Amino acid sequence: MAGSRRPVSEVIGITSTALCGGALALCLLLVAGLLGLLLYHGMGYFWQSPVVELTLDDGSVVAGEIVEREEIPSDDEHAEARHRIRLMVGNRDLTGHDFIWIDESRIEHATYPEDLLLIERLEWGKFYGRLQAIRSGDQVLAADPRAAAAAWPALHARKRRELKRIHRLEKKEIGEVNREIENLRLEARRLDLDGVADDDPRRAEIERSLLARRSHYEELAGRLEERRRAFLREELLLEAADGTEKAIPAGHVVRLVRANALSTWGRLALYRSRAAEFLLGEPRESNTEGGVFPAIFGTVMMVFLMSFAVSPLGVLAAIYLREYAREGWFVKIVRIAVNNLAGVPSIVFGVFGLGFFVYAVGGSIDRLFFAEALPTPTFGTGGILWASLTLALLTVPVVIVAAEEGLAAVPRIVREGSLALGATRFETIWKVVVPAAAPGILTGMILAMARAAGEVAPLMLVGVVKLAPAMPLDGHFPFIHFERKFMHLGFHIYDLGFQSPNVEATRPLVFATSLLLVGVVVAMNLLAIWIRNHLRRKYAGAAV
Amino acid sequence: MSRPISPASTTSRRRRLTDRLGRWAVMAGGLSIIGAILCILLFILLEVLPLFGGARVERLPPLRPECSSALALAEDEYRSTALLLDADGTVRGLSLDDGSEIGRWALPLEDGQHLRRARTAVGASLFAALDDRGRIWIVPYTFEVRFEGDLRSIHPTVGQAVAIDPWPGTEPDPRSIPAFVAGRSPEGIETVAAVRGGEVSVVRREGSENFLSGEMEWDETRYSLPAPAGLDTLALGPDHRRLFGGSRSGALVVWSLDDGPAEPALAPAEGAGVTAIEVLIGGGTLVVGRADGSLETWFPLRGHDGPKLVRVHRFSGQRGAIRSILASQRNKGFIAIDDGGGVGLYYATSRRTLWTGRVLEGAPAAAAFSPKADGALLLDSAGLYRLSIDNPHPEISLRALFGKVWYEGYPAPSYTWQSSGGSDDFEPKLSLVPLLIGTLKGTFYSLILAIPLGVFGAMYTSQFLHPSLKRVIKPIVEIMAALPSVVLGFLAGLWLAPRIERSFTGLLLALLLIPLAVAAAGLAFDRLPRALRARLRPGTEVLLYGVVILLAAGTATALAGPTERLFFGGSFTQWLVDTSGIPFDQRNAIVVGLAMGFAVIPIIFSVSEDAFSNVPRNLISGSLALGANRWQTVTRIVLPTASPGIFSAIMIGFGRAVGETMIVLMATGNTPIMDWNPFNGFRTLSANIAVEIPEAPFGGTLYRTLFLSALLLFLLTFVVNTLAEVVRSRLRRRYANL
Repeated sequence: MAGSRRPVSEVIGITSTALCGGALALCLLLVAGLLGLLLYHGMGYFWQSPVVELTLDDGSVVAGEIVEREEIPSDDEHAEARHRIRLMVGNRDLTGHDFIWIDESRIEHATYPEDLLLIERLEWGKFYGRLQAIRSGDQVLAADPRAAAAAWPALHARKRRELKRIHRLEKKEIGEVNREIENLRLEARRLDLDGVADDDPRRAEIERSLLARRSHYEELAGRLEERRRAFLREELLLEAADGTEKAIPAGHVVRLVRANALSTWGRLALYRSRAAEFLLGEPRESNTEGGVFPAIFGTVMMVFLMSFAVSPLGVLAAIYLREYAREGWFVKIVRIAVNNLAGVPSIVFGVFGLGFFVYAVGGSIDRLFFAEALPTPTFGTGGILWASLTLALLTVPVVIVAAEEGLAAVPRIVREGSLALGATRFETIWKVVVPAAAPGILTGMILAMARAAGEVAPLMLVGVVKLAPAMPLDGHFPFIHFERKFMHLGFHIYDLGFQSPNVEATRPLVFATSLLLVGVVVAMNLLAIWIRNHLRRKYAGAAV
Repeated sequence: MSRPISPASTTSRRRRLTDRLGRWAVMAGGLSIIGAILCILLFILLEVLPLFGGARVERLPPLRPECSSALALAEDEYRSTALLLDADGTVRGLSLDDGSEIGRWALPLEDGQHLRRARTAVGASLFAALDDRGRIWIVPYTFEVRFEGDLRSIHPTVGQAVAIDPWPGTEPDPRSIPAFVAGRSPEGIETVAAVRGGEVSVVRREGSENFLSGEMEWDETRYSLPAPAGLDTLALGPDHRRLFGGSRSGALVVWSLDDGPAEPALAPAEGAGVTAIEVLIGGGTLVVGRADGSLETWFPLRGHDGPKLVRVHRFSGQRGAIRSILASQRNKGFIAIDDGGGVGLYYATSRRTLWTGRVLEGAPAAAAFSPKADGALLLDSAGLYRLSIDNPHPEISLRALFGKVWYEGYPAPSYTWQSSGGSDDFEPKLSLVPLLIGTLKGTFYSLILAIPLGVFGAMYTSQFLHPSLKRVIKPIVEIMAALPSVVLGFLAGLWLAPRIERSFTGLLLALLLIPLAVAAAGLAFDRLPRALRARLRPGTEVLLYGVVILLAAGTATALAGPTERLFFGGSFTQWLVDTSGIPFDQRNAIVVGLAMGFAVIPIIFSVSEDAFSNVPRNLISGSLALGANRWQTVTRIVLPTASPGIFSAIMIGFGRAVGETMIVLMATGNTPIMDWNPFNGFRTLSANIAVEIPEAPFGGTLYRTLFLSALLLFLLTFVVNTLAEVVRSRLRRRYANL
């Protein structure tokens, strides 16, 4: 028929079909585009691009990394398009800003000098410049760039060790003393509440150990101060591109990168080291730098607690619906309830969690068991337990639907065989049907976990924080601290992207975090899909 | 399911017990789901309900203090002590626990002189009293709170009283002065005003401390204002910038005190004579009580020529003439007391009458509203009556939540959400309407994108795609559904929004070019030799469309700049402001629509794909066999049959969009404005909860109002989802019959 004229109706049919196909193609493109965007920016966060040194037409010199390039909007349509670049110049402590825009026409020439360094620091963000010397107090350790470069690796390793020791002192030993002091204070308060007399020997005992702890604390604090001073003693003398001199404590340097002198392997090693810092490191500079380990940990722990709560409930409900309940109005209502539970906006669960778990249940627990700590709430404020329970409610329909599907896939003959062999109903279900439906149940749990990992809105009301002072799991009795607030990858994204003072500078980190979160969620979903397909194939041959 | 074969004979008792226990456990699990949803609903409802309860007023046993002729009363904020100003010029401190006297102060009145009338200015902590010589006494008092350990004690003290003579040297008969008022502004200005024979005499004093001697030096100004006939009552605005009066004829009058004598603005006489007026906290509302017991609120608005008075609301009022009106120092509430001893508790913003009841036998000699608005004192010859008021949420009524409310300082009634403000006298504006509109606006713009893409994509997938391709597409859509909304919100707010702002023309062009290009590609594909097409699996052309869409989008981006120069003078956003006056917000409804549309597409897609795929094969085969082509079959047979399912899909998508929080939180400016303009932001119910609940005190009005918005969301999605579920199950039955 090709080449011949077609009736109008047929042309309409063809174009309409094509438009429907286009709709599908657009959906797929959107998914691919979104994932691609996240991959590009997220993976790019760790990659070191060259550091450029630009000489401008007024003779000034700037150094940094080119972030983007765009056309300068102009009203004159005949003019040749001009471009400008955005340069990340770092050195926030010297200039006050991280980025500058430069018209390309102003650039006299650009070089990529090998001795130009990128320094990642504990404070003030990145620094671009050249290493001139190293000194310790008034004493010069390395007088010229070459000597300084040679002396750096050993010094750096030493400083890292010192930093680790300082952290250990702060977190472990001083933290321990602080906790003991707090416990003693609570103990004294408990005696007050119990109406114990003022001359009770227990009070004197508490007072004594409190004094001992305080003096121990003073001693530790003195030691910490001393170590800090030692830590900051050595300084790198640096020269920024515009000639400004700057001394940076050697201890503050996280990484010193010769960005333009890196080999491919060096670049990859740097990439690996940065990715490791991101995944395993603690955040610093109010989350805008460093790693997201506490957020990963918080997310994982919350999801696991949630799955402990949600699985029995969801699976029992599914077994009830599939195996016990007779179709009727009651089951219909249960199904509508399940469907509605799945459709209720997540923020409503958050509101419920806040009102019910946090204020009603948590408040009562506090009054009953933690009265000595009041008015500081223990369970009467958001915490990981309440967050997990709230999300368990949110995800229970996911488990029910998937588990039901899994149970339905178990052929009837399997059940009848078991019953015919004399097993009771419960034995049949427990020993035959449920094991056979395990992949379906597993699918449901994985999907629920994926959903919980990505949910943020309800968590904001029931216990997620920007920066948690302590992990919900640690070496102190009772090891799992259900009442503690926690960090979460999704909230991390929201907080960094929308609450941080310097959104532009943190955006790459947000992309990396988003990629991580999406990666985890997508991987869990793919796993669930794979299990489900596997399950389908397993019973594909079985009759009815 | 068949009934199990009775295993009684072969099973041991233990196994049977396990069986029964297992059954119970499983049933409990199933029921717990219903329990959970009921629990959520009930709990939220229980948190919301107190909003609509009225005030609870409890009458405490009256005290019988031994003072026969008290003229004015004051109470401390813990309601444990009171001060009574007596006609003989003594002030008595009284313990409200047992009625015992705890202090006594005397005014420096001349021998034989008495006070005639007195009133309390609670906000300024002073009594104002008129004596026999027509002078007005200002008697400041304080309630000092002392703590000894955990024990609190209140110590009332009376400061130095001053007599101010509005008509110096004349010693007018106090009976010729129908009304007077006195107050001290937060800036320390004392204002006294009194009416006598067609004029109001105003005395303003401003004290400053002499830095040499440490004594107070008073800077006094006096002037008189013309007054309408029959002026019977006066009230002073808290900032002393306005003086209000009400006349026997029913007229109201307002003077501006800012710059000396000024002509008053009059509200013409209507209704019965004015018997009491009072200004509410903040100074923006005037409460007027009349001789027939009616109560009204009026706003002094700024007209073209000075202030004018506009009536806002008329309460149903009380039986007798209103004798006194007591303004709350906490909110826009007030108490009105009438001739017959009837007492009413009202709230101006929500226009609620919270409580009415009869407390006394007749008009009280004196009355006071507790500083925390949690009680009142009324005194008559029989004794001191105490009311305890529990009035947690007076500012909420259905009208305040969903109706147009005229707020203080606003030119007209409006729907406004503004839950907190900077000052103590802030009037919370808790209209849910802007949030509801915002919710619907976001949902509307996202469904515009999601419905066509989702439904048509699903139709194509189910009707034109080879099953092997379908198996690839469905997981992709599931992945799409699983993407965390916080990531979508982040991308929309920080990546997409600036790009759309920079190149909105590009988006418009893409909207135009992509369908054209895809249609053209479809026609071109159709022209390919049949032999070639037969070797491809049906649906492979989607890949072609994908490439075409990319090309079209690229072209649109490239053409955006020239088009913008050609039609919009170089910048669309500037053009928009110039031509229509609409500013282009970077985070606007279009950005939200795109991001939330992305989140809703997979839901609509998978539900409607189900509906399309479940259309019985025999219908399709029949149609094709009768000579209809594929497209005709799809539009005439498949689409109508599956339409209830598509309706379900849209409903479920709607439910998702209504409740979505993170995307709107991150991709809009969260300003609670009310319009449908796609170029500005909005605030949804859900985002509002996320924004405000961390700051809402537990159990407060805002907290419960946010619970109410959660309840609304819950009910909205509940209705929508139930509807969708019912339609779907009907459809399933219909398919089963076909």
